[in-house]
Amino acid sequence: MSDQDLVVETVRGLLTRHEPFDPTPDRRWDAGLWGALAGNGLTGVGLPESAGGSGGELADAVAIVRTLASGAAAVPVAEQLLVAGPAVIAAGLSLPPVDEPLTFGHAEGVRATPAGDAWTLTGTVADVPWGSTSAHVALLATGPDGAVLALLPTTGLPASDAVNLAGEPRSTLTLDGVPALAAPLNAAQVRELRAGYALARAVQLTAALEQVLAWTVQYAGERQQFGRSLAKFQAIQMELAEMAGEVTAVTALTDAAVQALHHGSDDFWLAAAAAKVRAGAAVEVVARLAHQVHGAIGFTQEHKLHHLTKRLWSWRDEAGSELVWSKVLAQGLLADGPDGLWPALTRVV
Amino acid sequence: MTNPLTLAPAPRSGAAERVRGEVRDFLAEELAAGTFSTHVDTWLSGVDPEFSRKLGARGWLGMTWPKEYGGHERTAMERYAVTEELLAAGAPVAAHWIADRQSGPNLLRYGTEAQRREILPRIARGECYFVIGMSEPDSGSDLASIRTKATRNEAGDWVVNGAKVWTSNAHASHYGIVLVRTAPVDTANRHAGMSQLLIDLSLPGITINPIRILDGGHHFNEVVFEDVVIPRDMLLGTEGDGWHQVTAELAFERSGPERFLSTYPLVAEFGRRVVDSGDPAALAVLGRLSARLLALRQMSLRIAAALDRGELPNIPAALVKDVGTTFEADVIDEIRRVVDVLPSLDSPDPLARALAEAQLHAPGYTLRGGTNEILRGIVARGLGLR
Repeated sequence: MSDQDLVVETVRGLLTRHEPFDPTPDRRWDAGLWGALAGNGLTGVGLPESAGGSGGELADAVAIVRTLASGAAAVPVAEQLLVAGPAVIAAGLSLPPVDEPLTFGHAEGVRATPAGDAWTLTGTVADVPWGSTSAHVALLATGPDGAVLALLPTTGLPASDAVNLAGEPRSTLTLDGVPALAAPLNAAQVRELRAGYALARAVQLTAALEQVLAWTVQYAGERQQFGRSLAKFQAIQMELAEMAGEVTAVTALTDAAVQALHHGSDDFWLAAAAAKVRAGAAVEVVARLAHQVHGAIGFTQEHKLHHLTKRLWSWRDEAGSELVWSKVLAQGLLADGPDGLWPALTRVV
Repeated sequence: MTNPLTLAPAPRSGAAERVRGEVRDFLAEELAAGTFSTHVDTWLSGVDPEFSRKLGARGWLGMTWPKEYGGHERTAMERYAVTEELLAAGAPVAAHWIADRQSGPNLLRYGTEAQRREILPRIARGECYFVIGMSEPDSGSDLASIRTKATRNEAGDWVVNGAKVWTSNAHASHYGIVLVRTAPVDTANRHAGMSQLLIDLSLPGITINPIRILDGGHHFNEVVFEDVVIPRDMLLGTEGDGWHQVTAELAFERSGPERFLSTYPLVAEFGRRVVDSGDPAALAVLGRLSARLLALRQMSLRIAAALDRGELPNIPAALVKDVGTTFEADVIDEIRRVVDVLPSLDSPDPLARALAEAQLHAPGYTLRGGTNEILRGIVARGLGLR
């Protein structure tokens, strides 16, 4: 068993003791699962030990995020391991303790002003995933000379929660001249950070799509109608095959985008954009057909399916919608002019 | 949960990227010299023996075959790069396409030593073309119902009677690999009693009748066999093993870039239009189409890598073809929703021409090489449903 398999097995073991649940205002996240993950050193994987992480490869971090996503786990691990953690380290800021949740927010409307050795932040940032349940937040804010990455504790910040379709907190934080650490980012760094956030959601979408396919195949094999299993009906077989096509396409592209990140490709941002767009597009087909095959029981909170389909419907529009990323992708692919499309397509992944 | 149809990722191949650059330079030269013009779906419609011979001279046919048979012992990943570049440029590759993709590998697997020595080097030089003789007028997707029959005469040779249809470019081809019944139908095992024959299309008793497709083009044919005598050593592989041999070809037939790039020249024209217009709605469509195409490339590359590992991933190949050919047709609808262009085969506007060519060929994408309904049945089997 490889290190990565071992990590995945450990996460799966923890998930069996932390079933998905329907979030309520009293229970917005799975603090118990977070504690168990942190206790096993899994909330610092892929972040270098020299910076306070647990070490390991990007692929290990991705495997953890995938496993948690397929289990509909209500913890900000994707944000910590794939977005905020790497961004904080790359910006030269000091990583908060990895056993405390760290999240990320797009905060272009927040003004960052240098104040001696530190900075102060003023403004409001919305749609911060797990903003109210995380200990720290890294914000892509606007400084006097362009973008900055700011890092601050969330303790004492006025916060109000919206939730996404799956009930995951998407918080609004109000920053009234609060102190923060911050570092300027150049345009390429900003682009990579945005793309990294999109890729994190694409990785989660990929895992959830795979799990929804597996659940639907299993259900079709078990559910008896008209004296035989659903799986024996050709109409159902066509639907499941269509789902499998979508899921296989998404997996292939997301894996390639992760590889592009791993290898430090200059085109990583385009690969991430493509992965996010492709995964989002697959949600249309996969979620619709999964519910169709599951029938009425899948349309209730009695059945587990909704934990993932609601996340699919949420994640596809987060970290930049398909509309946003498809335009970024097309513009990037056409950057070398009217005859540059094909060379770009064969270069990106 | 792992999807059973997902193959291991393809490693990046430096050799493939090198040959890609060579093909790109070659295509730029040929386009500049005016030896071909770009069209949609050229692996069906672009018959140009001179162009095929040029590719052969460059070593870009029979790429993966052993050198002793005229091949070049290169990887499936390198072949993938070459074929992908040719398709994206809309180059005329139809003459040799089937021979290079499918018939050559079939001969390598099942042919006699004499057949290999005689025919494979000619394919690799771009001089010898093949047709697939599978479907029949009354058979369609139900291949096991074929009725073309081969019986032995007193000399022990085969006598073939029957007809094959949708035989792409039979009129420009030298040989056919033809699936025939060599034993009566066994109702207990429909797949038994079939064999593959290697048939020289110039033999007496063979008539090739054109069947024109929607744009008037002559690519399809009906090939009629009337008491055609086939020498006994032209049996390909094992008598009675035809069904198994046919299905073994399918990973080659169904997984290549021609299953998602048939309409790429239309996408390229659309891209040029988007550069000019900057229209945000068109940009978004181009982005969505590009994301689908990038995913298909990764799926197809994974199959090429599996072929290099010696695997024959027939079920993942069926999946690529289903997703890919659906994309080929969707391209037309997605583009026409965001451009105001009247499709016409003789328009001066290249986008209007590409739209017209793609539309008139569209019904074929999801039919040829196994309909998408058949493919989804195969995928369903791969999912363990049947």
